[in-house]
Amino acid sequence: MNELVSELPWLWAGLVAYAVATVMAVYAVAQPDHDGALVVNKFRPFELPVLGLVAVGVLLLSVALAERWMRIGHGPFVNLFELLVSQLFSLGLIYALVYWRVPVLRPTAAVVLPIIWVLGLWVLMIEPTDSLFPPTYHNNWLWVHIGFGKVFLSFCLVGAGLAGIILLRRIERMKAWFSMMPSDAVLDNFAWRFMVLALIFDSLMLIAGAVWAQDAWGRFWAWDALETSAFLNWLAIALGIHVRFSYRIPRAVGAAVVVAVFVLAFFTYFGTPFFSEAAHKGVV
Amino acid sequence: MVSVLRALASVRLTVVGMLLLACGSVLSYGNPEAVSIWVLVVPLAFLALNLSSAIITNPRIHRRKGLLVFHSSLLGIVLLAAIGRLTYLDAHLEIINGATFDAQSLLDLKAGPLHSGRLSDVEFIQGRYTVDYRPGMSRGATRSYLQVPDGEGGWREQVVGDDTPLVVNGYRFYTSFHKGFSPIVVWTPNNGQPEVGTIHMPPYPLFDYRQANRWTPPQGEEIKFWLRLNTGISQDSAWVLDGQRATGVLVVDSGEQRVELQPGETVVLSGGELRYQSLTTWMGYKVFYDPTIHWLFFVSVLGVLGLSYHYWTKVSMNSVAGVNRRSLDEPGQNPTDRSRNGGAFRSAQDVVKL
Repeated sequence: MNELVSELPWLWAGLVAYAVATVMAVYAVAQPDHDGALVVNKFRPFELPVLGLVAVGVLLLSVALAERWMRIGHGPFVNLFELLVSQLFSLGLIYALVYWRVPVLRPTAAVVLPIIWVLGLWVLMIEPTDSLFPPTYHNNWLWVHIGFGKVFLSFCLVGAGLAGIILLRRIERMKAWFSMMPSDAVLDNFAWRFMVLALIFDSLMLIAGAVWAQDAWGRFWAWDALETSAFLNWLAIALGIHVRFSYRIPRAVGAAVVVAVFVLAFFTYFGTPFFSEAAHKGVV
Repeated sequence: MVSVLRALASVRLTVVGMLLLACGSVLSYGNPEAVSIWVLVVPLAFLALNLSSAIITNPRIHRRKGLLVFHSSLLGIVLLAAIGRLTYLDAHLEIINGATFDAQSLLDLKAGPLHSGRLSDVEFIQGRYTVDYRPGMSRGATRSYLQVPDGEGGWREQVVGDDTPLVVNGYRFYTSFHKGFSPIVVWTPNNGQPEVGTIHMPPYPLFDYRQANRWTPPQGEEIKFWLRLNTGISQDSAWVLDGQRATGVLVVDSGEQRVELQPGETVVLSGGELRYQSLTTWMGYKVFYDPTIHWLFFVSVLGVLGLSYHYWTKVSMNSVAGVNRRSLDEPGQNPTDRSRNGGAFRSAQDVVKL
C-alpha cells in the first residue's frame, strides 16, 4: 500500500462534491415535468445547489493542486495524474462560470457533469506518482499554452453537453428529461457558438504552443503526434463550422459532429501524449 | 473570370480541401519523415487557391471585417510557411570548449533552396558548460557559457541553455542534450612536426559506459581510445556535470600496447609519439533559421483577433441567453413542443441571426 500523499484527501473530497452535483443534476432532469396540469421547470430548484457543489468541488481540487505543487515543487503539467486533476479543476471552473452566466444551459449539467466524472473515475485508478519537471518547462509560454488549451477543451465540453441533449432527445424516454430546455434549433445554435469560441481558443493554444516549442525544442512545428492531433482538432472544428453555417444539415448530424470534435479533443489531451514517443510526450 | 473565381471559392471545395488536408495529416501522423511532404502541400495549395477566390468573391467574407482579417491571415500563414520552407536552415553542431564557431562544421545540415542567411558572419567562442542533474539522473538546467562579440571590438559572456538560445543574424543555437568530453592529444610522428587534435567521445552521461573512439594516425597503426571519467556522477543524489571539475584517464590501446595516460603523460607508439595533453568538453547545439517566424506569430495573432472580433460583433450568445432565461421561468413554455411553444423558439434564426 502506498503512502497517502497529502493531496489525495482533497482530491477525493472534490470528487465527492462533483459526484453529488452529478447525481443531483441527473435526478433533477429525470423527474416528471408535470405537477398536476402545470408544466414546471423541474431543474430550477436544483440550479443553485448544483452550482454550489461544483464550486465547492473546484475549491477542494484547487487545494489538492496547491498541496501537490508545494509537495513536489512544480505545477500539474507532466504526468497523467497531474493532467487529469488539473483538467478536473479547470473543466469544473469554466463550466461553473458558463453555468452561472448562461442560465439557460444549466440543465446541461446532467450531461456535462457525468463526462467530467469520467475523468474523476480515471484519476482514481491512477497512482499519484511524483513527476520530474523538464528544464524546458520553465517557460511562461507553457502557462499560456496550457491555459488556452483548458479554455478550448471546456468550451468543447459545453458544446458537447448541448449536442448531447439534442442526441438524447432522440431517445423517447429522454425526451421528457430535457423538456425544460429550448428547442433543438436553439441548442444547436448555442452549441455551434461554443464551437466558434473553442476554435478561437484552440487557435490561441496552437500559437502559444508553437512559441513554446520554438523555445523548448528549437522548432515551432514538427508534425509530432500531439501537434498533428491538435491540428486535426482545429481542422475538425473549422470543417464543422463551415458545413454547419453553409448548409442545412440535420440537427442530429450537427450534434454528432460536435460530440465527435469533443471526443477527438479528449483523446488529443489524454491519449496522444501517453502513447507517442515524440517530444511532446511529457518528461522529455 | 469572376465565374471561375466563384467556382473556385465554393464551400464544397473548402470541405474537400480540408478533408484532403486531414487525410494528409493522418498519413504523416507521428512519422512525418517517412511520408511525402506533398500529402500536405497539395491540400494546402488547393485550400490557398480556394481561400483566395473566396476572399475576392464571397461577400460573406469580404463584407465582414473580422472574417476578412481571419481568412486573410490564414492565407498569410500558408504563404509564410511556404517562404519558410524555401529559406530555412536546420542543422546540428558539436563544438569544443575554446573553439570558434565555424559554419563548415555543421552536421545534418538541411536548408531550403533559397536559403541565403549570413551564417558565415556568425561569431562566438564556446566556453565551459554545466548541467544540473537531480536524483535518478533526471536532467535539470543546462548552462553553456559563450563569448560573443560585444559590438565594440571585444567579447562579452553570454549564458545560453534549454529554452534560451543564442540568436545571431536570425540563426538560433539551442543547447541539445548531447554534450560530452574530448581528450586533447598531441601526435608527433617519427621525423615529423607535432599536431594537436581532440578525440571526440560519445555524449555523456548518455553513453557513460561507452566513452570510446578510435583513430588511425598517418603512417601509423589504429589507436583505440577509452576514457575513464571521474565526474561525480550519481544515480541517487543530485550532482552537477561540470567539465572543469571532471578528470579522466585516457586508456590507449594500439597493437600489443595498452597504457593508461594521465594528462601530461606520453606514450611511444608505432609511427610516433602520443601525448595526452588535457581533458576538455564539447557541447551540442540544434541550429535553426527561419526568417518568417516573427511574421508567422503576428499574422496568426491578427487572425485570431479578427475571428474574435467577428464573434463579438456577429455571433455573441448574450441575446439568446436573455430570451431563454425568460422562457424557462414561464411554466407551460416547453420549447421542445412546438404546439406549446408560443412561437418563442420556432427556429434558431428567430433568436439569433447568423
